[in-house]
Order: sequence, then C-alpha cells, then structure tokens
Amino acid sequence: MKIDREPVDDEIPTSSMADIAFLLIIYFMVTTTFAATRGLDFALPEEDDSPPVIEKEDSVLIEIQPSGELLVDQTPMSLSEVLNYLKPKLEVNPKKPVIIRPDPASPYKYMVIVLDELRQAQDKGFEEEIRISIPTQREIESFWY
Amino acid sequence: MKLPESRTAEGTIPTASMADIAFLLIIFFMLTITFEVDKTQVVLPKTSIRVEIPKKAAYVSLDESGRIKVSSGEELSASVAGSEDVFSFAVGVIATDPNKEFVLKADENVPYRDVDQIVDALKRAKVRVIYLLSNERTVDDMAGG
Repeated sequence: MKIDREPVDDEIPTSSMADIAFLLIIYFMVTTTFAATRGLDFALPEEDDSPPVIEKEDSVLIEIQPSGELLVDQTPMSLSEVLNYLKPKLEVNPKKPVIIRPDPASPYKYMVIVLDELRQAQDKGFEEEIRISIPTQREIESFWY
Repeated sequence: MKLPESRTAEGTIPTASMADIAFLLIIFFMLTITFEVDKTQVVLPKTSIRVEIPKKAAYVSLDESGRIKVSSGEELSASVAGSEDVFSFAVGVIATDPNKEFVLKADENVPYRDVDQIVDALKRAKVRVIYLLSNERTVDDMAGG
C-alpha cells in the first residue's frame, strides 16, 4: 500500500529574526542616555598634618566676587586680562602659585571659568603650567596667615 | 498565434542578511554603551578644556537645591545628607582603591560654599584627582562672556 507523506520542511524559519533584532536595537536606542563624560581635571594636593604656609606676598591671589567680578591682587580685572597680568610675574618666578579664592556665595561656574582660563596658559604662550591652588574654607581658617 | 509562455518574476526581497546586520548593530551598541550611574539633572558649567573621564570613576553630584548624591561608579547614585557623609563615602572608596578618580557633577549656579564643603571632604579623604564635569564651551559662549 502506498502512503502519501507530506514533504517535511527542513529550513529553520528565520524571517522573524530581523524583527526581533530590530526591536532590540530600538530598545537600546531609546534607553541610552548620552552621558557627559568629559570635564576639567584638578589634582588635589596631598594633605598632611602641616601643609606649607603660603604667604600672601609669594603668590597671586584671585578673588571671585558673588557677582562674578574678579579682584586680582586687590585690583578689579576682567577674565581676559588675568593671563596678561600673570605673564610678567610668572616669567620672573614660574613656580609662583596662583590662588583662586571664590566667595562662598558666588556661583560655582565662576570658579570653573577662572580655573579653565588659567589651565589654558600654556596654549597662550606661557612656558610652564600655572601652579593653581584652590584652598578650601577650612584650610584658609586653619593654615592661612 | 500562440505566444510563448511568459516567465513569472520572482516577488521576494532577499532578507536573509537583515538579521546579521541588525545583530552587528546590537553588538556595536552593547560594546559602546556606558551606563550612567548618576541621573541627577544639572546645568553643567562650560569649559574649553575637557579631558576624558575614566570609566568607573566615583561620582558626587550636587544639584541646584543642594541635594548631594554619591556613587562609587559601580551602582546607581544614592542620596546622602551632607558633606560628612561624602567624607565617609570617599574614605570607604579610597580604602579599596587609593587611586580612584572622583567626578564632581555640580550645577553651575550652586553657591561655591556647597562645592567647597564637598571638595574639602574629598581632600580630607585623600582623594588625588577630581574631575569637574563640564559641557563644551563654544565660541558663542566666549563672546557672551
């Protein structure tokens, strides 16, 4: 007796594979948030029990007022003038520290703008990187003057 | 007259390679994705110098209302009460990895006093390098001051 058999399909159905893969891609694209992963690096000085006392006269002091105005060695100055002021002083003594002292009430962005400007010194004709110090309020109260 | 039988045109688009392409895209997304450990919404300050932040760096975020969150870079950030908690957290992180980099993600308008307390806590915990997370400063920003 002859039995009719239906031919068996020997292929794996892959037509939906692309749909699944594209769904996964869409999921990744929707859930990915592009994080800001760059910033201004700042090395903190190693803290010991007796940090070196920096005298006012040995350094340049940049004070940031709450309004964002700058007082460089007690002289009002715009941000673009700061590097020009520092250049002759640092040519005489490249190790002269520059101290940034923001007013506690001043917005954080002004400190960042000043730090960013000073960090660009070498691109603007300075021979060495400026030695920048940003003492915290506790350090100012404990060790300064 | 009998016309020759016309050949039927093949009506399918070859889609066999579609899944391969889609899976390659998925692999690309999976390799390049960096999971954001801190989702605090802040307006970042803008800087010209922006260096790449190492992956797995610890995060301290500070939003405009003064809320602080910390993350060791492995898990999602969690709220802490104040700068003393940041100190304890940083001490714990530095105990496991003394060279761990810290990222400070602070809103540009936050008063510097709040940032100062966090930087002071990190200094006391003997953190060596902090990255001040920033956005890119464009030519328009510089013209605007």
